[in-house]
Formats: sequence, structure tokens, C-alpha cells
Amino acid sequence: MLSVRNLKAGYIRGAPVLKGLDLDLACGDCVALMGRNGMGKTTFVKALMGVLPEISGSIGFLDQEIVGLAPYQISNAGIAYVPQGREIFPDFTVEQNLTMGRIGKPKQQNESFEFIYEYFPILAERHKQLGGTMSGGQQQQLAIARALVGRPDLLLLDEPSEGIQPSIVQELATILRRIVEQEKMTVIVVEQNLNLVRRLAHHVRFIENGLIKSGVAVDEINKNPAIISRYLSV
Amino acid sequence: MKSKYSRLFTILFWAALAAAPLFLGDWNLGLLSQLMIYGVFAMSLAFIWGQGGLLCFGQSLFFGIGAYAMALTTKGMIPGVPAITLAGLVLAIILPSLVAGILGLALFKGRGLYGAYFGIVTLSAAVIAERLAINWSYIGGFNGILDVPPLRLEWNSWHIEFYDPLLFFLVVLVAAFSAFLVLLKLERSAFGTVLRGIRDNETRAAFLGFETAEYKAVAFAISGAIAGLAGALFAVQFAFVSPAILGFALATEVLIWVAIGGKTVLLAAFIGALAVKSVENVLSDTLGQYWLLALGLLFVTAVVVLPRGLLAPFLNLPLPPALRQSKPLKKPTTT
Amino acid sequence: MEMTLLIGLDAASYILTLLLVCIGLVIIFGMMNVINLAHGEFFLLGAYTVVLLQQYALPFAVILFIAFVFVALIGLIIEEIVIRRIYHRFLDTILATWGISLALKQLVIVLFGPGSQQTMAPFAEPIVMFGITYSSYRLFVMSMAIVITATTFLILFRTRWGLTARGVIANRQMASCLGVNTRRIDRVTFAFGSGLAGLAGAIMAPLMSVDPQMGVGFLVPAFLSILVGGIASPLGAIWGASIIGGSNSVVAAIWTPVIAQIVVFSLAIVVIRLMPDGFAGRKKR
Repeated sequence: MLSVRNLKAGYIRGAPVLKGLDLDLACGDCVALMGRNGMGKTTFVKALMGVLPEISGSIGFLDQEIVGLAPYQISNAGIAYVPQGREIFPDFTVEQNLTMGRIGKPKQQNESFEFIYEYFPILAERHKQLGGTMSGGQQQQLAIARALVGRPDLLLLDEPSEGIQPSIVQELATILRRIVEQEKMTVIVVEQNLNLVRRLAHHVRFIENGLIKSGVAVDEINKNPAIISRYLSV
Repeated sequence: MKSKYSRLFTILFWAALAAAPLFLGDWNLGLLSQLMIYGVFAMSLAFIWGQGGLLCFGQSLFFGIGAYAMALTTKGMIPGVPAITLAGLVLAIILPSLVAGILGLALFKGRGLYGAYFGIVTLSAAVIAERLAINWSYIGGFNGILDVPPLRLEWNSWHIEFYDPLLFFLVVLVAAFSAFLVLLKLERSAFGTVLRGIRDNETRAAFLGFETAEYKAVAFAISGAIAGLAGALFAVQFAFVSPAILGFALATEVLIWVAIGGKTVLLAAFIGALAVKSVENVLSDTLGQYWLLALGLLFVTAVVVLPRGLLAPFLNLPLPPALRQSKPLKKPTTT
Repeated sequence: MEMTLLIGLDAASYILTLLLVCIGLVIIFGMMNVINLAHGEFFLLGAYTVVLLQQYALPFAVILFIAFVFVALIGLIIEEIVIRRIYHRFLDTILATWGISLALKQLVIVLFGPGSQQTMAPFAEPIVMFGITYSSYRLFVMSMAIVITATTFLILFRTRWGLTARGVIANRQMASCLGVNTRRIDRVTFAFGSGLAGLAGAIMAPLMSVDPQMGVGFLVPAFLSILVGGIASPLGAIWGASIIGGSNSVVAAIWTPVIAQIVVFSLAIVVIRLMPDGFAGRKKR
């Protein structure tokens, strides 16, 4: 469903962070992108979302070329983005935040949020609360829920465990797992937290110097933790 | 895009101005003096806007204070100040400079005003000053001050009056060239470098230890002084000042000259004023009301398409070697 | 007693008139971060729409509607040709809109001449209440200001479009990543703010001498109002118009209108200096 070819992208002309990256995903894949800081993980998901000023190469998504499309067009093509730092709307209520997730999408206009509230009961309970007043874990749930109300085919998660206490990370991983299975979604998750990766992903891909180096199944990492240290230790 | 010939253009331009009396009659010489006065005014704005990044929407305030100071002094209307040209000139430079400096300190100190707020506040200040002048009968009220005497130098029993257009032209030329040199020198000094640093990133300049508010206030005061000088010459040339020169209309006119010429280059702003004003003199008769329409559209186009101005690329003088960067700095990349 | 009431009514009238002008301004400034110096000329265009359309004996409500739509369209065109190229160059928006203002004003002079035009109020019978007589049209203007402000708030805070617009302002990139066409929101917001200025001009036309300079007189008090009130929220327009308009009316009643303007403008500058976020609160950065 997703095929990235020779993707070069970055923030300044002539200084690409991604240097000709290739990646293929099949429907239902759940891939974790790992790598050290500054290797281009976040840049890669931003490139998929179309928010980078400099981009070239090709990204085929569901038989459509999305390089050069505006972020809202990419979103409406079926990619949803949960950014690092969550970026919920702090002055909006939970419900308004969720509404923002589908407001540009004619098809989802009149769907209720019930299916979201089933995954995230806390959001149902607090639907009138301002987003900015919730805890980090709740805000993360809200950001994921906001991405899901648009009924995406591909979900991009950037550091979902960042700034959240470990017990909540486990809970979050379990919810995400359920969502991925029940909604048959394809997922790319950028993550440092092995706990979450183990619970959520099928494969791990390592990104180094703007290129995807190699991939392994999650089971192999469980058997052989040395793989991780090769790519992640400094 | 630094033009190789900018130094040559600059020298040629001033040489041409100096040679103008050889070719122009009295009438045109008078006209040229008038244009050059506007040019000096434009340079004062270009300095504060182009170098300091302060978009002053009320520059006419300082021009007007200078003009009024000159007129009031030489007509003997300021108690305790002798009614001579020299005193008028000194006051016309110092008063607006003080007003600008104090206003600048008041606005910039602490959590200061910037950007648009500064523009709106200076515009309001000019409007207030205009209202004040209209309603202050001692300084002539709505009618302003008539019969401002000409420049007059005296030494014991000897004196000279600059009635003659040629003499007045020479005075204006010297004033304009001096203003150009002073501002250029400042631009190319360490002070100018700090000012540009503040313009580009005030927080960074402050972190480097510069009192940015004071730098901006001083720059504003210098700009006010030059605007005041232009105002004083204006008062003498027209022998007349009125509240209109303090206000909105002139304040925005000078913005147009500078934006069209180019705010970062003094001479570009100077020529911008000369060019727009002389085209206006020629075309406003034939085009009538359409002239201002065209000027407005040209102005918008210049702002949107050529933010550096039409002339600046050709007149941009290279910085002195000590201030040149060997390479442009690149911003660090992040993921 | 009647004197106080009359001053109070005049103050209310000036406040609400100012509010009428400010509400479009604060939308474009506060929501899009564009200082629109052409606002006064949008106001002017609204007034001239009335001049033009009154010849055809249209109902006044229809004229008001057309004025809104016409000026909104002008705003749309200007946004598309000029403003969208300079959103990221904040100071240049002031200059560009200033140039637009100059050109629009001059266009009006070319089309209608520099002289002033008269428009007829649709009704003008004075109303007697509490022992004082007051112009019924003035009361109409005041109630229109309240209705338009309330409607604007309803649109911003109770509709999907308002939510989207506020979302785009809060976090443009995120809104875009959620599928919101931010360009369309920009266009509509600018057109809406412009249209409100045109509507204000049309409503005010019968009370003023309609001439090419009529927009300028409102520009400074309107801008000072929204800065004093605070641009973070449209509420700031209400605060600002009340403070500037109210104090202006009171001082004018005690001394003269000229002194009032000088005093109030100067005080406004001090207030803006001391409270850059305005009365309605701070803008989150």
C-alpha cells in the first residue's frame, strides 16, 4: 500500500536529511522505525505527511503519488499523523479536538465518536474537558483518537511514549494493538521505547543517516537483543 | 546580488548632483533642492527601517518638529533663543532627536513594543502631533507659520542670506551629502552591525549581551535628527510650515519612497524619493487622479515582489573588509 | 438627568460604532495576523455601495447585504492576489495593505470624484424616550452593531467553520495534517473580515458625509481599540471599543472633541505600552 522510492527530503535546500530512502509496506503491516537521534525518523514521517519544504523522489500510497500534495490532501488520501509532542489543541475541549480530526473529511462528517470512546473510555468521560488541562498520557490518547476519527488507512505515530510514565505506556500499547487489529490499519511508529515496540509492531526497521538500513521481525529482537544495541547504542 | 558597479554609481550620482548647477536654471535648481530635502528625509527612514528593522509609520513627526523648530526660532518665537539660522538648525536637529530617543526608550525598554505595534503607535503619535499643532494657536494653528525667513549667516557686521537658488542648492547638497556620509559611516561601523543583528534576531542579540532597547533608541534618535534636519531645510525652502507635515499623509508618503527605492540602501531610498517625487511632478498633470492609483499599485507590487526595493540591488555598497563574512552562515539542521 | 442620559447615549453610540468597525479588523488581525490598513477603504467601499444602489430604490436590507457580499468579494480578490504571498512577512502586510488602501481610495476618487455624497437613511423619525429625543437611525445602528457582533461570535464559537478557523489559528500545520484546507480558511476568513468592514460602512453611510477620506478617520481609533482590547480574542474588540469610545465620549463632553482625541490616543499608547496583550488577555505564543 505504501511504496517509497529514493525519497530525499529536508528543511533547507541542498541539505537533505533523508538521502534516497526506500521502504515498502503491505496492508496491515505494523512497522517500528528505530534509530539514533538525528537519523531522520521524524523527518521521514513529516515527509510522508507533506509538511517539509524540500522533498523529492516518489511516495506511492494506495495507487496515488503523494509527493507534492498539500498536507490536507495527504490526510484526505488516508494518512493520519500523531506528531511528536502530540500537538492537541489546548483551548479546545476533547470533543472539539476530535471534531478537528474529521472536520475536513466529508465522508466522516456525521459519524459518532462512539467507536473511539470504546477504545478510550477516559475521553468519553472527559469529553467536555479542555485538552490542555489533561495529563500527558490522556493527551496522547486524545491525539491518537483525533487521528483515528478520520478513518485513516495508514497511521503515523511519532514517539507516542514520549513523556508518559511506564505503566501508562503499557496500557497505551495494549490499546493501540487492539485498534490495529480491529480496524485493520497499517501503522508506522517511530519509537525509542522497546516495551511499546514489542507489544505493537510486527517488524522493526532501522534508520541510519537518512537511509533505511535493515529490518527484522520483532520476534528476532526478543530472541537477540544485541541487534538493538548495534543500531541504538552510541 | 551585489552589483560590481554600485560604488561607481554612488560616486557618479553625487558628482552629477554637484554638477547640476552647470546645467539647470534657477527654477529647476530650486526643484532639485526640494527633491533632495525629501531624499534626506527618506534616508532617515531607511536608516531606522532598513538597518534597525523598525517600521516607523510616523517619521513625519520628526520632520515636522524640525520644521516647526526652525520656523519658530528664526521668527523669534521661542523665548530665550536668538532668532538666527544657526540656533534654528541646532534646535531642529536636537529636538526631534530628543523626542525620538525618549519615545524610543519608553517604547523599547523592558518588554518592549515591536513590529506592528510599533508601527501603529508611531502612526498614532504623528496623528496626535498633527491634531495638537492644528489646535495650538501660538504656533499658528491650522494655518501654520508663514514667512519663515531664509537661511542667513552672520559674522560681526558681515552677513549673507541664501535667497539665491544656487546658494540654497549648495547648502542642501552639503546637508544631504553630510547626512549620507554620517549614516553610511554608522551603518558600516560596529554600531551598525549590532543594529542589523538586532533587526535579524533581537533575542539572539540580547543573549549576546547587547542592550537592544538602548541601541534601538539611539538609532531612532539619530534617525529623528536627520529627519529634523530635512524638516528645517523644508521650512526654509517653502518659507512656510503647516500641521500637515507632521501627520499621516507625509508619514506614509515617505514610506512609499523608501519601499520603492529600497530600505536597506541609503542612496536607494534617497533616489527613491527623488524619482517618485519627480515622476509625480511630471505625471500628476497628465495622469491626474490616476497617478496616485498607479503609485499605490506600484507600491504594493514593490512590497510583494521586490521587498528589497527597485534600486537597492544596484547601489548596495560592499561592507568594509573588517565586517565582511567570509561565508554566509548556514542554519543548523535538525530532525 | 437628561443631560447625563444624552451623554450616555452618545457614548454608547460611539462605542458601538467603533465596535462595528473593529470587529472585522480584529478578525483579520487577531486570527490571521495581518494588519489590514485597507480596512478603512473596505468601510469606504461599503458606504459607496449604498450611494450607488440607493438610486435603484432597493430595500435597505438588500443594500446592506449586497455591500457585505461585494466588499467580501473584493477582500477575496485582494487576498488571492496580494495577501497570500506575504503571510510570512508580517511587516510587509502592513505596507502592502497600506498601498491597497491608497489605490482603493484613489479608485473611488476616479469613479465618484473627490466630493462628498449624500445617502438617505431609510428612516429618520426621532424617537422620544425618557424625556429625550434621539435619532431612530442612530438607535438602529447601535442595535445592528450588537447584532453583528453577536452573530460573529456565534459563527466563531458555535459553528463548524468557526471551530476550523480557530483550529487553523491555534496550530496551522496540525490542522492541515488533519485534513483542513488551510488556504480555503484563510480566504474565507479574510473575505469575512472584509465583508464586515463593508457592512459597517454601509450601515454608517447615512450618518456620515460619504467622501473618499471617511475611512481614514476611523483607522487610528479602531487600531488603538483592538490593541488596547487585545487581539488574541474577538472579545478584545468589545473591550477596546468600550474603553476608547467610552473615554473619548466622556472627555469630549467635558472639554472638546479635539482634546478628547489627543488625550485618549495618548493614553491608549501608554496602555498599549504597559499591557501589550491588551485587556482581553494574553496571546499564547
